[in-house]
Amino acid sequence: MESIFERLWRLGPAAFVLKAIVAAAVADGIFLAFILLRRTYRKWYFAKRDARVFALRQGWDKLISGAIPYETWRNKALDRRIVESIALDALEAAGAEESARLLKFLRESGLLEKRIFEARKFNGWRRMRALVALGQTRAPEGIPALAEGLRARDMETRLAALRGLGRMASPQAAAEILTWVGERGLCVPALPLQSALIQCCAERPQQLIPYLQHATGPLRETLGRVLGEVATPALSQDLLEFVGDDLDELRAAAARAMSHAERGLAFDVLNELVSDPVWFVRLRAIISLGTLCEARAIPDLIRGLTDSHRLVRLRAAEALVKLRSELVPIFQKVVETQDRYGLQAYLTALENASLRGELEGELQAGSPGSSVAQKKLWKILQAGVLLADEPEMAESGAAKSAWLP
Amino acid sequence: MIRLLDFLNHTLFWYYLASNLSYLAMLIVALKTSAVHQRRLKSYRLEWFKESPLAPPVTIIAPAHNEEQSIRVAVRNLLELDYSQLEVIIVNDGSEDRTLEEMREEFRLRPVRAVYIPEAKSAAVRGLYRSETNASLLVVDKEPGGSKADAVNAGLNAATSPYVCIVDADSVLERDALLRIMVPIMADPKRVVAVGGIIRVLNGSEIEGGYLKRVRLPRKSIEVIQVIEYLRAFLIGREAWGQGNMLTIISGAFGVFRTDLVRAVGGYRPQAIGEDFDLVTRLHRYLLEKGTDYRIHFVPDPMCWTEVPSDLQSLGRQRARWQKGLLDVLWPNRDMLFRPRFGRIGCLALPYLWLFELFAPVIEIAGIITIIVAGCLGVLSREFALQFLLFGYAFATVISIGSVLQEEITYKRYNDWQDVIRLVSYCFLEHFPYRQMHMLWRLQGLWQYFRGDVVWKPLKRKGLESARAR
Repeated sequence: MESIFERLWRLGPAAFVLKAIVAAAVADGIFLAFILLRRTYRKWYFAKRDARVFALRQGWDKLISGAIPYETWRNKALDRRIVESIALDALEAAGAEESARLLKFLRESGLLEKRIFEARKFNGWRRMRALVALGQTRAPEGIPALAEGLRARDMETRLAALRGLGRMASPQAAAEILTWVGERGLCVPALPLQSALIQCCAERPQQLIPYLQHATGPLRETLGRVLGEVATPALSQDLLEFVGDDLDELRAAAARAMSHAERGLAFDVLNELVSDPVWFVRLRAIISLGTLCEARAIPDLIRGLTDSHRLVRLRAAEALVKLRSELVPIFQKVVETQDRYGLQAYLTALENASLRGELEGELQAGSPGSSVAQKKLWKILQAGVLLADEPEMAESGAAKSAWLP
Repeated sequence: MIRLLDFLNHTLFWYYLASNLSYLAMLIVALKTSAVHQRRLKSYRLEWFKESPLAPPVTIIAPAHNEEQSIRVAVRNLLELDYSQLEVIIVNDGSEDRTLEEMREEFRLRPVRAVYIPEAKSAAVRGLYRSETNASLLVVDKEPGGSKADAVNAGLNAATSPYVCIVDADSVLERDALLRIMVPIMADPKRVVAVGGIIRVLNGSEIEGGYLKRVRLPRKSIEVIQVIEYLRAFLIGREAWGQGNMLTIISGAFGVFRTDLVRAVGGYRPQAIGEDFDLVTRLHRYLLEKGTDYRIHFVPDPMCWTEVPSDLQSLGRQRARWQKGLLDVLWPNRDMLFRPRFGRIGCLALPYLWLFELFAPVIEIAGIITIIVAGCLGVLSREFALQFLLFGYAFATVISIGSVLQEEITYKRYNDWQDVIRLVSYCFLEHFPYRQMHMLWRLQGLWQYFRGDVVWKPLKRKGLESARAR
């Protein structure tokens, strides 16, 4: 009987195998040549570029003041790219005065105009590069071109425009982004959109509210998350309408934003949100209460300490130890909860904040009620667990351990 | 006899062709995916995420066993990672040397009662310590558990963040590695439940103060071949599987997981031989059984550098263990095979692992033997067999050089010309006799498994010891 190799040889696949060998060898050759040529080209290019960067940096002040005529470098592609990248890098770290000087240079040298032209007329990677560079300039006249980029068919171009607008970090840029998402919905990944909006809406967060009211689905969640990050006390009343929202993310955003709100209102709202059925809404509410750092938050934080979710308990404990003036009364309340997980979380937070010694000192110095109660608290603090003569504690702990997250 | 030989030759031919074609397909997918990934990265400003409120808290868990030489550098390296909300938990897994004392001195540890709820199985904890110099450092001192899984579980029980990042204490993470690995989670926190980063070979590179100073190719051939293997496995294999949400392994040396889910599946399985593979497979099972819409990502840019075995004996032991680990996970999960409810994992990823990873050494060795026997019996077309061998060789080098190309056009960590020439040369040299030895080690692993030799034995590594000396 013939072997498969003989049959293949006779039927013709041998020719295929031969061709395959040749193809594989050619592929190997192409790969190797590509690696070789690419390395050689990069070596040559970077050496040339470094030399030009050095030369241009030598006369940088004269160059941006216009003492060296713009035409001397503007018509050479490599020089133009280098000058622009040095100017944009400098803009990133520049103060107000230096920024104005650099922006004036970009305008007068025509670099800005060129980028606006490229962002409008070109396609593909050249357009993307222009969009990102325009954002880096933070020049308001670049915003319309960036807004056009948001409406491009290609996702990568839209992302580049979004990135550029994010760099602008201005209310005008925020308005363009919001108008666009209002028209088209969420047509880019949420993270770059959030990132750009957080940067742009920091100055005027109220811009978000009308869009948030009309948005639906994932866009609503995304905008809610942004609002949670940028909200200010001035937005307190506007935030109220999101406290009872159906979307968990939006309630969480409202809880997060409440840490920036007017205190009276914030406590009322957070008091409601710490009982939310969704754990991350409760978590956000507890963190906000911790940020507010006031004694009237204690009952809610104690409630958070007995939460079914571990993270909520831990954050509640961290928030409680921030209230240093109330160490003994808080500890007493923690013990009264008879919750060993809560106690453990509280003692951990206390030790992490190096406040254990302070609590011990306070317990020794003054009586919180009776000397018996004080002794009991002292014993619990030393043992780190609830005392064994309290049967309900063991029950509550055992019951909780069965459904812990 | 001849019929049998013919059948085996047929099997070998189609098996080899399918295996190589699947790898070629993965190479194409990986080249495209990494190009897209590179472009996407430009949309995110990593510097901005450093202090971003969008970055969720992360707990790094690093088990350490007898690491007195390198533990100071390793912990400092972890604490200095670029990430805003970071907690570092070092699990001292019953070290018999001065590992704990070294940390105590360096970071001024004091005993604390940290939240420790034994949800995942682990050996008894002796004590918990918090650093006075850096409150984000917690040390869990525990009885030896005999496995990395046991130590990680102890860290998991003490973790307080919604995400945990599992690393090896003797690995070197690049400063922005954590930030980069968290990007998919920040982009889609609802669906992304785990992310794996890339593991690169540390041998030969220069390290200073726990940081990678200069990437160089190792000197020994056996190490260079492993560099190619790692490039192929991560830049092609995992990139492609990750793209299809079919990633079944997130390396135990560097991966991020959602804490609640890892706890929900009971943490790492202490008896598991390949604990990383086991965990990811159980996560897939758990989420698919619940009908959850989820993603497990691989990202090729957050880099973790680790030491690989530098002698044949250690390498052989490691590969045998990997093969045992593979069988140890695939066999208990055989009910997932071809079940529609387990989607692509059950219908594609796991069958691929059975066929081209688990059975590979058996089929290849059987194939080689039958070709030899057929040759001896005179029923083999020698010309064609030679051509087929050449084809296989050329094809395999295409895949290897493809992975080097992928490295060149994306991350380009080997800058030295000499290194690249050596790397490419080994793409041609690794197929003989290394590949055959590799098959034998894997067969040995299977044999050991069936014999019941399934005890987890850690490899002896020099790790950052050498870094410290420099």
